[in-house]
Amino acid sequence: MKKAVILLFILVSFSYGYTYNKLLLKAQASIFPKIIMLDKKLEGKLVEGKIIYTIVYEKNDYETALEIEKFIDEKYNGRFNDYAYKINLVEFADLSQETQASAIYSLNSENYIKKVAEIAEQKGVVTFSYDIDNLKNGLLFSLMLEKSTVLYFNKKNLHPYNINFVDSLYQIVKFVESKNDIQKNLYNKTLWFKNQNTAIAGL
Amino acid sequence: MKRRKINSLSTKIVFLIALVSLFITFIVFSVFEKINREAFHQIEIEKADIIAKTIEPLIALNIYLDMQENVNQIVLQLIENPNILSVKIQTPDKVVNETISKRYKENVDGSFVVENIIFRPNSKQEIGTLSLVYSNKRYKELISKHTNLTLILLSGLGIIFIFFSLYIKKLLSPLRAISKLLKEYSPEQNIEIPFASQNNEIGLISSTLNDMQQKISEYAKRQKDINHYLEEKVTEKTSQLRHQLYSNSLTNLPNRLSLLKDIAFFNDTALLIINIDDFKEINDFFGHFVGDTILIKFSSRLMVMLEQDKNIVVHHLFGDEFALLFTQKPPLQDFIKIAQKLISDIEKIIFFHENNEIGIRVTIGGAYQVDGGLEKADIALKSAKKHQKSFLLYDEKLHIEEQYKENMEWVKKLKKAIDQDKIVPFFQPIFDNSTDKIVSYECLIRLIDSNNNIISPSLFLNIAKKSRLYSILTKIMIEKSCSYFEHLDYDFSVNLSVEDILDKDIVDYIKSKIKIHNVENKIIFEILESEGIENYEEVSIFIQEMKELGCRIAIDDFGSGYSNFEHLLKLNIDYIKIDGTLIKNLDKDKNAQIIVEIIVDFAKRLNILTVAEFVHSREIFEKVKELHVDRTQGFFLAEPQQNIDFEVK
Repeated sequence: MKKAVILLFILVSFSYGYTYNKLLLKAQASIFPKIIMLDKKLEGKLVEGKIIYTIVYEKNDYETALEIEKFIDEKYNGRFNDYAYKINLVEFADLSQETQASAIYSLNSENYIKKVAEIAEQKGVVTFSYDIDNLKNGLLFSLMLEKSTVLYFNKKNLHPYNINFVDSLYQIVKFVESKNDIQKNLYNKTLWFKNQNTAIAGL
Repeated sequence: MKRRKINSLSTKIVFLIALVSLFITFIVFSVFEKINREAFHQIEIEKADIIAKTIEPLIALNIYLDMQENVNQIVLQLIENPNILSVKIQTPDKVVNETISKRYKENVDGSFVVENIIFRPNSKQEIGTLSLVYSNKRYKELISKHTNLTLILLSGLGIIFIFFSLYIKKLLSPLRAISKLLKEYSPEQNIEIPFASQNNEIGLISSTLNDMQQKISEYAKRQKDINHYLEEKVTEKTSQLRHQLYSNSLTNLPNRLSLLKDIAFFNDTALLIINIDDFKEINDFFGHFVGDTILIKFSSRLMVMLEQDKNIVVHHLFGDEFALLFTQKPPLQDFIKIAQKLISDIEKIIFFHENNEIGIRVTIGGAYQVDGGLEKADIALKSAKKHQKSFLLYDEKLHIEEQYKENMEWVKKLKKAIDQDKIVPFFQPIFDNSTDKIVSYECLIRLIDSNNNIISPSLFLNIAKKSRLYSILTKIMIEKSCSYFEHLDYDFSVNLSVEDILDKDIVDYIKSKIKIHNVENKIIFEILESEGIENYEEVSIFIQEMKELGCRIAIDDFGSGYSNFEHLLKLNIDYIKIDGTLIKNLDKDKNAQIIVEIIVDFAKRLNILTVAEFVHSREIFEKVKELHVDRTQGFFLAEPQQNIDFEVK
């Protein structure tokens, strides 16, 4: 009976949008803005002197996007270090070349991840993905909470002409290059979610 | 014989090389030690610094991204480094990580801390500090290795030097062997030095020494011959010199030195000293060559006369003096007889020179005592001469020695009196016979002894002349007399001997004193005629100089000597003081009256005033006046006093 209730809950969740881990969302909201500051070519990406942190989401994930915005504002209170920032919430469907962005954070999407990657490449901005799986579609960073916090980086997606990170960053990221890497990481992610859900179920 | 301590040359060389090398090694070691220690230390610091700098960006990034776990992992990796003892990462508000290694306690001594500021990535903002405590273990290991290597090097060097010293010793050992051989060397016996065949410096030295031995041997042989010849010559010359030393060069007889030696040698001797009378006249008259010839002949004759008596040794003391030493003392009567016979025999000797016959007489002094024989015979000879006897035997009764002692006492007294200013003038007035008034004073010398007795000059004047004190007495009399009469309206006379006049120092002194006291017109110099004025020329010059100054001259004791009227005329004198021997019996002695009359007449013709001395009675005073003598001086009228407040009799 208990298993049936859980399965039902999962199915309902899928019908109303993606499921996001709050802990992970918080971790990503906390770390990704800092990674923007590690770009030595950040100055060229400022819009009117501000960092525009664009969060793209599916319509159903609007609440999640707002929640992320709230997390960020609570943590950074309007400034990423020396720079003022503005959070720009944009639906995947509305994202275009004209969309203002110094960096793009992408929530999950079935169809738009490649589009996000293309626009980001054209604009020369850093992209972050909630889901590590999206890195194979051209996004740059993702973050997983494993035994410790692990930052994933797909160096194939790096466009050195527009982005130049501090060297030490490359020492702490985990590079993902092949599908195997991603699958391996996905396995880890699944395992981690499983643990989390088990923990939640235990509650 | 004390064995000489040898300082080994080889040991010295090796020791010096070792010392210098050790010194250089020590300096090099010290310098390198210091440099290396600093370098090693610096390397360790740099290593720690590099680690800190390398790790800092990573730590910075992880802190920045709040990846505490990563930071912890990095620190764990760091602490695995054996040299890192602790790591401390600190942000302004908290200690991010502080990990201490298990090795911390054992290695903390000598460790050092490297601190590095952690900057926010891609920014200059400081977000924390990284502190590493870095162990000095590696540094210590390096130093230890370095020290061990140096010790090994020094040990190696030490071993090399030991072998080196042994080798040097071996190389130089032939020198010791040569030295040992050469100790036995003498010019008479050559030594074969064995190392001559070696083809090195030792060989050269050995070969040279062998050659040198040959040369020394030849030279020694020649030198020996020369020495032998020189020894012979020296012996011969010594013999000659000894002969010259102990013999008279003219007569070849033993001399005075030989006599002294003989007297000291023989215990019981008697001595005669023979002096040829007036031998100076023979020399002056016939010349020294004839004099010498006579001395040679006389010595030969003397030898002939005494050849029978083997106990008499003839000596030629000097010039005209010979001595006969009796090596065995004869009876006194025989001794006297021998002397008298000699005198008689010698008087019979006639020496011929050209057509002249020269005879000689001798005076002999004899001493029959051992002690002081020569001096006693000499005294006897002098006494014989004085008493014009041909022979006199020394006799204690002659009191000659006492006289000598007395004379020496007088010399002492005189010196003391001079030192204590006890030589004083006494003044005796001279009266004018026409007016009976005092016209002048004669200044007479007196000595006041320690008992305040007034001593007459007859007791000390002759001794003063012999002891060279006479000139001092003259000066004292001149000074005191001139000073006394400087402010008195009387003439005064001072006695001068011919000796004084011939002494330039005295004459200069007189001139200066009469000028100082301004008594040129008061002073009269009385020159003793009794001494016999022989140096008329010098005396004449003195008188002329004095007269030019305004002084007057008197001849004292006129008539006592061989008065030469012609000379006296030339001397331009002012007074004649007639000799006391003519005056003292003038009232009775007719001859004296005649002589005085002649002198007075002679003086008046030359405008010379006459003075009669030693007038001791009224009769003589009357006679003096009767004979028209101009002035009178004597005890009858006044005795000499220490001052001129006289009471005329």
